[in-house]
Amino acid sequence: MFIIDDLLLRQVGVTIPGLNLIWTLEQIRDFAYRELYNPEKIKNSIKENRLLFELGEITMDEYERTNAKLLQELKLAERGAEMNLSVRTDIMGAR
Amino acid sequence: MNEQESGRYVYCMIKSQGEKKSFGNIGFGGEEVYTLEYKDFAPVVSSAVVKKYEVSDEEVELHRKVVEQVMKEHSVLPVAYGMVFKNKKLLLVAMSAGYKAMKKAMSEVDNRVELGVKVFLPKEAASWDGKEKCKSDFMEALRKKAARSKELKLFSDRLIMNASFLVDRNKIDGFSGEVEQLGNKYPDLKIHYSGPWPPYNFVDIQILSRRKGGFR
Repeated sequence: MFIIDDLLLRQVGVTIPGLNLIWTLEQIRDFAYRELYNPEKIKNSIKENRLLFELGEITMDEYERTNAKLLQELKLAERGAEMNLSVRTDIMGAR
Repeated sequence: MNEQESGRYVYCMIKSQGEKKSFGNIGFGGEEVYTLEYKDFAPVVSSAVVKKYEVSDEEVELHRKVVEQVMKEHSVLPVAYGMVFKNKKLLLVAMSAGYKAMKKAMSEVDNRVELGVKVFLPKEAASWDGKEKCKSDFMEALRKKAARSKELKLFSDRLIMNASFLVDRNKIDGFSGEVEQLGNKYPDLKIHYSGPWPPYNFVDIQILSRRKGGFR
């Protein structure tokens, strides 16, 4: 099976308008994912939340609620990082 | 649990006690925390299931509490959370590989503890002047009272300084006094002073933690 790979075409200086747009959209999506599901950022927030609690700026209740939410996000983010979101899956299943 | 077959969860290392020492049933799953022997070291372990240890508040807290209990009477080499070995033999193999590094680390941290100091901006002061000056004031003064120091990541925009200090056990009071004086000098800032901790930031032995999660 012959698969047109836009990255391959890009390398030889050919771009196809439709693919080009998809590529751009994917870049934007991946960037958004990386920002949203950045494990390092979430870890920082977990530490900050803990510090705010220990310094008495937030209550135990607030601390626990935020912490549970952040731990959930961290789990998702780490799973996302393992899966490598930027790999495009070929719908013909012949990657 | 079958002693021969079960995994061993490692909390920390102390100097050899010459014989098995028990710290009570304070380990994961209510298991006994006790020492094994390897040359002049004694890993502090409990029998445990070999699995990935999730990072949850309760479990990290349990690990922390065990190490704190041990460090009341001993100088400890802390071991990262989640380090479990399939059996005693594999643990001793890892210890033999890391022996030299452990020896060096122990000479560094023996009779010393880690103290943490974080300097935090108040809520309403996003554009506080003099952050650099304040940070160097703290670092300079506290370094004089410590054997070693390490600056850590500023994980919040409101953090001016985040550092750990390795301090001789008998000099803790002097260090605390210095922190208090600095606090008086900067009354607007929030100071988070914590410890004594096991010297987590001053021991970095890769042999026991090369792989993420600490599986063996």
